[in-house]
Amino acid sequence: MTVPSLPRPSAAVRAGGRPRRRLRGDAPAAWALLAPSLAGILAFLVLPILVVVWLSLSRWDLLSPIRFVGLDNWVEVLTDGRLGHSLLVTVLFVLMVIPLQTALGLAMALLLSRGLPGSWFFRVVYVVPWICAPLALGVVWRWIFSPYGGALNALLGTDVEWLSDPDLALPVVAAVSIWSQVGYTTLFFMAGLAGIPTQVLEAAALDGAGAWSTFWRIKLPLLGPTTFFVLVTGVIASFQAFDQIYALTPNGGPQGATDVIATRIYLEAFQGGFNLGGASVMALVLFAVLVVVTLLQQRFFAGRVTYDLS
Amino acid sequence: MSARSAAPAISRRTVLGSAVGLGAAATVAGCSPAAQQEAPTGGASGTTRTVTVRLWDEQVEKAYRASFDAFTAKNPDIRVETTLVAYADYFTKLRTDVAGGNAEDLFWVNGSYIQPYIDNGNLMEIGADFDAQRGEWIQPAVEQYTRDGVLWGVPQLTDGGIAIYYNAELVEAAGLTPQDLTDLTWVPGGGSGDTFLPVLQQLTEDASGRRGDESGFDGTKPGTWGYSAAQDLQGIYYNFVGSAGGAFQQPDGTFVFDSPEGRDAFGYVVDLINTHRVAPAASNTNDNGDFTRDQFLQGKIALFQSGIYNLKNVADGADFEWGIVPIPAGPAGRVSVVNNIVVAGNAATADREATTRVLQWLGSAEGASYIGAEGAALPAVTGAQQAFSDYWAEQDVDPGQFAEQGQLPSISAPTGQNYGAALTAWKPFFDEMFLGRTPVDEALAEAQAAANEAING
Repeated sequence: MTVPSLPRPSAAVRAGGRPRRRLRGDAPAAWALLAPSLAGILAFLVLPILVVVWLSLSRWDLLSPIRFVGLDNWVEVLTDGRLGHSLLVTVLFVLMVIPLQTALGLAMALLLSRGLPGSWFFRVVYVVPWICAPLALGVVWRWIFSPYGGALNALLGTDVEWLSDPDLALPVVAAVSIWSQVGYTTLFFMAGLAGIPTQVLEAAALDGAGAWSTFWRIKLPLLGPTTFFVLVTGVIASFQAFDQIYALTPNGGPQGATDVIATRIYLEAFQGGFNLGGASVMALVLFAVLVVVTLLQQRFFAGRVTYDLS
Repeated sequence: MSARSAAPAISRRTVLGSAVGLGAAATVAGCSPAAQQEAPTGGASGTTRTVTVRLWDEQVEKAYRASFDAFTAKNPDIRVETTLVAYADYFTKLRTDVAGGNAEDLFWVNGSYIQPYIDNGNLMEIGADFDAQRGEWIQPAVEQYTRDGVLWGVPQLTDGGIAIYYNAELVEAAGLTPQDLTDLTWVPGGGSGDTFLPVLQQLTEDASGRRGDESGFDGTKPGTWGYSAAQDLQGIYYNFVGSAGGAFQQPDGTFVFDSPEGRDAFGYVVDLINTHRVAPAASNTNDNGDFTRDQFLQGKIALFQSGIYNLKNVADGADFEWGIVPIPAGPAGRVSVVNNIVVAGNAATADREATTRVLQWLGSAEGASYIGAEGAALPAVTGAQQAFSDYWAEQDVDPGQFAEQGQLPSISAPTGQNYGAALTAWKPFFDEMFLGRTPVDEALAEAQAAANEAING
């Protein structure tokens, strides 16, 4: 298969083509241009993280004076079973959400990219849940799943307690999460599909590749960067999922079935005991878990993703 | 000479300096409280000072607005603004706002949550400035919010006792009269001497029209419920614990509901829901405190047990004939929780003088009369209560049952330094108990242990 190659940048352009002295002279201007955003990052990202680290070493209930307690909060939280339970529930939630959300997003993107009549309508419809306020959607879904007078039971003619049954609560909130996020995933896959050079697909067709073969051997490999991005952002978002789950099952669900880590952090910090120190420890643990998971994903995709679509 | 060269020379250093300065200024401005929200308190230097008030009751907020208009007419130098926060989030938001210095000058607080604010010096003492008014406030409210001889809020509302709102049409359809509801008794475990359960069964209908006391009744497919039993602290279970002769908390805050009386009371309520099915399943009510009220207003619940705080909602929302009868008596008689609400002054207010004047207004018969004038709630200022009675007399409603219940023996309202933490700790166990998934004895034991651990910090 012959594919015309795109012109490559010359060595001079790649090197910048300007003397090093000139670069040094531009440094102050570059710093000045970066300063506003750097200040924002320092004030609203780095500083809050440092505050959380400090709070994790302190006892504070919002009203009493902050008291330094060393590693007491860390010991308490790490030896308490609730953090482990919440992490387990979160991992289960992520495992339920990510594969289905990604597969459905890809499937819908493939369908919508075929240019069938009315595709524009479905493109809009799929994205609507993603752009709506998650808490408001959670309230609507809560009514849908309500055991008495709920739309779903009325439709099915059943009396299922969707949100108060410990076996059903987590799959139900996972389904709502997938429903609300799948449009976002679809958008990215559509963009990825649009970025595949037509000449590659034409060449595959000329070589006799069928639709199935084209998907597995051409489209899916070339969607690698998109898949990587969708998975990384999806996993992070699922680990941090809070608002819809809280709206559907406010106190961690029946027998803690939906007590995901973000809900646990909120309950620890703002419900009842106002244990800001313990909540900060949990937030830092979540941060560490996300870094590890993201690095693992990066490592997995490192040799499998090509950014060269030529 | 080109236009460019004619302009004042601006060096790169000047541009860089300006950029950095602008960035820093923007950052500082972004961090200042004034940029986040309008300053909540007025300063003494302005011609018009603003005092802000936070509360959770929509009906009373309307009354407050009328009251503050009258106040400003008499005190043109002070304007009063109200902020309404839903009760579900009220105490979470209040705590974060007090911590962040963004709380209003005055805010409502109840007995369950006031203690940490007292302990941490967040409230203004109701001191000598109010001596002339003290006699006008109902004594139980003053006692409830006094610690070591210091009062920490101006009494605003009193709930009296708890009573039962009934749907006259459903009562009549069940072959009963309101008189049949006025002297009911519940007995632990039901059975001999229990006149409450048979009435509830008579009032309950399944989807196919069978009454709760008829054979073939299928409570899993409800049509109409007889009663509003639910995990409702003030409206339901405190009263059952009290009328069983038990206590929920000791004066020092220790929880003692895992007692023989507590087991009798909770066992009875849980059976009403899960065994006799005369009340909605707890899956509807555990996380939705308004479910029973809403179903009552929709004509789906015959007897709705609640407080005077729902009187206006019932009067405005019910499109059927309704009335008020006493709660059932238990082994220890007819015992109800009595609660009062105060408005507290924020110790961090920037204008203590103006805040004190507004507090004095709210504690006066004239200022509080607006609460009663629209029937929004029963004022805790004695001289303002007549307006409440007059309003409801005009509506042909007699709310006297709440006051009568308030005169009977009562069970103490919840309190404690870490009450919120205790509530969060016991709720999961209560959820399972009300759902009928954990036996009452087991759930109460676990809930009490968790609550006591939390209340002690």
